[in-house]
Amino acid sequence: MPSRGESYLVGITIDNVSFSYDSGEALRDVSFEVMQGEFVGIIGPNGAGKSTLLGVISRILRPGSGAVYLEEMDIQEMSHKSLAREMGFVAQDSNIPFRFTVLDLVLMGRNPHLSRFGVETSEDLRIAKESMTKTRVANLAERAVTEISGGERQRVLIARALAQTPRVLLLDEPTLHLDVSSQLEVMDLLKSLSWKEKLTIISVFHDFNMAARYCDRILLMSKGRVEAVGPPGTILTRENIRTVFGVDVHVGHSFLTNSVYAIPIAGQKTKTSRKEWTVHLICGGGSGAIPMRRLVNEGWEVTAGVLNILDTDYEVAESLGISIAPEAPFSPITEKAHEQNLQLIKGSNAVLVTDFLIGRGNIMNLQAAIFALKSGLPLILVIGDPNSDRDFTNGEGTMIVRQLIDMGANVTKSLDEALGVLEGLRRDPLGGRDLT
Amino acid sequence: MIIKEIRLPRVLAGALIGSGLALAGTVFQGVFRNPMADPYVLGVSSGAALGAALAIVMRLGYSAVGVYSVSILSFLIATLTVFAVYGLAKVGSRAPVITLLLSGVAVSIFLSSLVSLLQVFSGWELHRLIYWMMGGFSYIEWADVLGVFPLITIGTLVTYLFSRDLNIMTLGDEEAQHLGVNVERSRKILLAVGSLMTAAAVSVSGLIGFVGLVIPHLTRMLVGPDHRVLIPSSFLTGGIFLVFCDTLARSISGSTELPVGIITALSGGPFFIYLLRKSRGRYAI
Repeated sequence: MPSRGESYLVGITIDNVSFSYDSGEALRDVSFEVMQGEFVGIIGPNGAGKSTLLGVISRILRPGSGAVYLEEMDIQEMSHKSLAREMGFVAQDSNIPFRFTVLDLVLMGRNPHLSRFGVETSEDLRIAKESMTKTRVANLAERAVTEISGGERQRVLIARALAQTPRVLLLDEPTLHLDVSSQLEVMDLLKSLSWKEKLTIISVFHDFNMAARYCDRILLMSKGRVEAVGPPGTILTRENIRTVFGVDVHVGHSFLTNSVYAIPIAGQKTKTSRKEWTVHLICGGGSGAIPMRRLVNEGWEVTAGVLNILDTDYEVAESLGISIAPEAPFSPITEKAHEQNLQLIKGSNAVLVTDFLIGRGNIMNLQAAIFALKSGLPLILVIGDPNSDRDFTNGEGTMIVRQLIDMGANVTKSLDEALGVLEGLRRDPLGGRDLT
Repeated sequence: MIIKEIRLPRVLAGALIGSGLALAGTVFQGVFRNPMADPYVLGVSSGAALGAALAIVMRLGYSAVGVYSVSILSFLIATLTVFAVYGLAKVGSRAPVITLLLSGVAVSIFLSSLVSLLQVFSGWELHRLIYWMMGGFSYIEWADVLGVFPLITIGTLVTYLFSRDLNIMTLGDEEAQHLGVNVERSRKILLAVGSLMTAAAVSVSGLIGFVGLVIPHLTRMLVGPDHRVLIPSSFLTGGIFLVFCDTLARSISGSTELPVGIITALSGGPFFIYLLRKSRGRYAI
């Protein structure tokens, strides 16, 4: 429980809550605090306990141990109505069997403020209408709730929760069945409510990017426990998402929305591990992005170089966790980076060269390929279109490529073909060179 | 003389009982979020009938407690029945329409067979029991009207006080809790009140089916789902409907009088089938 001095800032305290269903434990020792006016998103895979936690906070479920405090009040000690005056809830999907009008439904939000013998006053009507204006459904007042669209219904339900004039709003996946524009509309609304009205908002999200974009803090749950809690940038990391969701993601920062995002990396990981074989990739300018991903997905150990920082290939390598020989942004390859590249080549079992554009700055990478062949390593060239002009060095690059072929490099026309050659080499390193 | 001693109590009782059954139906449909629920379908009527039959056979009707002993025993068993049916039908935290109808029918058949069993062993009281069972207002006296009046009145008032709760409870238990309704308590009170009105009706007039199903529906179509309007409206239409049916029953075939239950069932049965067809799957939550 929060101490008296700081309590005026704390909206909700979840204190060491555990909960079990008949089928097993759903929450274990969950503790965290939500400040007043804060917008907190709960994310996690299915079965992590997100909705259960929301159930406990809203008192639908009674925790086996621990407690939930609304400011300083244990919610178990509050009456049904007094809790509903402080806390509104927007459920995932509301099944309404009878044809109430939108206004009727929103007015139900005034119930906690009315006594059993009381009737709605003009003040209640005013508050209901004001809530409907905030969520932009005032024009639907006389429509039947069974006849409006999903996005509209979601905003009607938020209006009903607002009509309770609560200080805390709980939502269970508020954007689940909505199209993109309705999703953004609902999220913008929530953000402005927490911002302008100092409403404390706790919401479960399916979509972690939506949560990251709008929430002040994110609570990452896994197997009934809090895995991590903090600002979106500290929660949406490759490691966290891999641990909790079992998915590899690329994490980036969008300057357009000023938020972090994570994109799952496409393609199923193969079950075969080829980790004992290291493939060194010589690429650049984006030509290595797809090969790197394929190689990693198919279980190879991958290194790459030399790559300029800020190059697409560099960012992909970073996000895949590949060791690389880096070079400063937009700079020609220096001796130091080249040397580092050669070290990586020495540590590999085969070298793959993409058909990157050859310029003065990166011609050293072709020298590195020569070095590989001279060290006796198998070298595979991927040349998609032999007639395309990718040489910006007045023929020097083309000459080196020709030299590589003369020295016994495997020439392949596609990445698939190159991967086939690689697999042949791995299975039969001695006969490998004759495979083409 | 005829008007004052025979016609007037009969019309008043008909109105009160029609109103009571219609309100009981409204309550059950709201509480179970299910437009198919009514006292008859849920077996509450059969429970009330068993209680009343027991009271008649045990000659409680002649005891000091008088008319009320029939109603009280009827009320007790009706209440037990509705909670038993609800308990049986419950899957998790809700009672889906299919299990609700099935358990209602099962419990109803069981209780009806107990009533039949009572008839076999009733001896001297058989005559009275059978007339009562057929359902009708032929033997209504002022005492019956005065017995039923306070029960239906109490039931109506309590139901009306819970009309906002009923509105909110149609959204589901969790939603209702979020909106500050003490669902468990409200549901117990409402089911008890619904059983009370059913028991009051059944103990006087026997089994009259379908009023509790048809009237709330028709009224909802007319005035909408808001219980604050629906409850007084059902009260009125229920009363009017049953008095009308009783007038038909009395006059339709000349000299012989038909039990009013036949008239209500004749109109209610097809309506129930119509509802079932129309809502196929929609209420199977």
